[in-house]
Amino acid sequence: MRVVIAEDDALLREGLVLLLRSEGIDVVAAVDNADAFLAALPEHRPDAAVLDVRLPPSFTDEGLRAAVEARRQFPGLPILVLSAYVEDSYAADLLADGAGGIGYLLKERVGKVEKFLDALNRVVGGGTVLDPEVVSQLMVRRRADDPLRTLTPREREVLALMAEGYTNGAIAGLLVVSETAVSKHIGNIFAKLGLPPTDTGHRRVLAVLAHLKA
Amino acid sequence: MTRFRAWLATAFAEMWRGARFLVTGVPLALASLWLIPVVVAVTLVGWPAAPSAARGLRRWTAIARRRVGAFTGSPVHQAYPPLEGGLGDQLKTVLTDRSLRRDLTWLVTNGLSGTVLGFLSAGLPLAAVNALAIPFYWQAFPADQPVASPYPVTSWGGALAMPLVALGYAALALFGIPRLARWNAGWSRRLLSPAPGIRLTEQVAELTASRAAALEAHGAELRRIERDLHDGTQNRLVGVVMHLGIAERALRRDPAGALPMLLRAQDAAADALTELRQVVRTIYPPVLAERGLDGAAAALVAACPVPCTITASGLGRAPAAVESAAYFVIAEALTNIAKHSGAREAEVRLSTRGGETLVIEVHDDGLGGADESAGSGLLGIRRRIVAFGGVTELTSPEGGPTVLRAELPCGL
Repeated sequence: MRVVIAEDDALLREGLVLLLRSEGIDVVAAVDNADAFLAALPEHRPDAAVLDVRLPPSFTDEGLRAAVEARRQFPGLPILVLSAYVEDSYAADLLADGAGGIGYLLKERVGKVEKFLDALNRVVGGGTVLDPEVVSQLMVRRRADDPLRTLTPREREVLALMAEGYTNGAIAGLLVVSETAVSKHIGNIFAKLGLPPTDTGHRRVLAVLAHLKA
Repeated sequence: MTRFRAWLATAFAEMWRGARFLVTGVPLALASLWLIPVVVAVTLVGWPAAPSAARGLRRWTAIARRRVGAFTGSPVHQAYPPLEGGLGDQLKTVLTDRSLRRDLTWLVTNGLSGTVLGFLSAGLPLAAVNALAIPFYWQAFPADQPVASPYPVTSWGGALAMPLVALGYAALALFGIPRLARWNAGWSRRLLSPAPGIRLTEQVAELTASRAAALEAHGAELRRIERDLHDGTQNRLVGVVMHLGIAERALRRDPAGALPMLLRAQDAAADALTELRQVVRTIYPPVLAERGLDGAAAALVAACPVPCTITASGLGRAPAAVESAAYFVIAEALTNIAKHSGAREAEVRLSTRGGETLVIEVHDDGLGGADESAGSGLLGIRRRIVAFGGVTELTSPEGGPTVLRAELPCGL
């Protein structure tokens, strides 16, 4: 796998390069700003990009805008966005083009290398990965008559994992239940929330998120 | 003797300053006198020109405001209703403008008295010098047209008494000129300042503006802290977990490769601690918590490159936010003194009034003429103080000394 990295903090950039290389991933470019990032894409044609939300010069959301621009130039390019903090509105910007292959994680998730690599692989595979923090933001701000309140605790867990972008099989593994049990929960959730049944891919994440944001 | 010499030096300096102010005021006063017929003409026949004349008068008095402001060391405010709309509207504005009437009063009174005072303040010292010289040249004058200053000098007795006369003139000049200058500046300030009601309206506008500025400054401060924490400290901690993560993976495959990663994680953790300490210091200096405002201010004073002393009397503990604001105000003031004032020494005085208001005074013997609009330091000080409902007063005449006085309600 060939990856381009954009991270302005030198220590973190080197660390990321080291981490990915020691896992056999080919880091073809590691840059510290959005312009260099956008320039590196046509040159290296990477399989994925990992970038920080805050980049110079204003350190606000340059990385986010660079990600959106990169997706415009290279539709479907898998991008994993890392950030010091997460905002559900930022997630909405990233998911706006409706295609998969997007990840949005808190920076510190890189510490759990295995999970981080799994997330990167899911993004490269066209999946969607949202930080649990984003999902919990989406799941708390709810009205009194919210149908979410009718979900059982187990169903809420399954819903959160769906929103984070996990497949049925992965959810079954994480919750240590059978895949048929997961399917049954999902059927109940969709019925209770009045969502049309969808397959297990990116479209399902979008449907769940659309409902949560409504 | 040395004390008399020091007193004499100060008296001379004050006389010189006063005389300079009054003498340079003479052209202004004379020109003002010439303007009076213009005003009369406009009043009698030139009604349509009244708005233009009013604008001219505003610019003319602005010169006087700057002069008086520079002499007394605190600015003279001005507040006029805007001259807008058609000729009718503008004429109405001119007719109802109380400040304009005060300006006209100033024009006439200063035109007369400014001329007299200016010649007087130039004449008194010259008369003293002349009196000293008379014993040397009185004989050169014909007996029927003797030197007469202030009495006809026709004999050696009269001539030798002249040094006493010189002493009299000198005393008059030394004592009188500074007082006359202050008196002239004082009533000029009163007439040129906005009328009481107008001043109040202006103050309300000022307060609203400074309140907004204070909120803006507070917001900027919060953004800075957020950035320092997210982009500094948090990145270091991410570095820690990342290198620990790499080390963890290495331990499974190649334990020898884990050690450098652990060392990097350790360094990143140490950096995170350093950065955290720095951020905390900019939010609330720990020295304040440990030693109180007087102790913390003493540390600032000790670190100031300009020799500086501190007197603190009757300070109790104030709320942390107030102490912190006071601390940063003193720090900023001392930085300004070190950078711009050219002072040889400075002094910080801390006291309380009624236990409810913290009074900070920072004196320096530098060049003076500190301009609030020029640097952001003084503005920053004012904003910090205003944020707590306090007042800042800066007195900084050209030539110094500069006194910054800030009062901070303690909210107790």
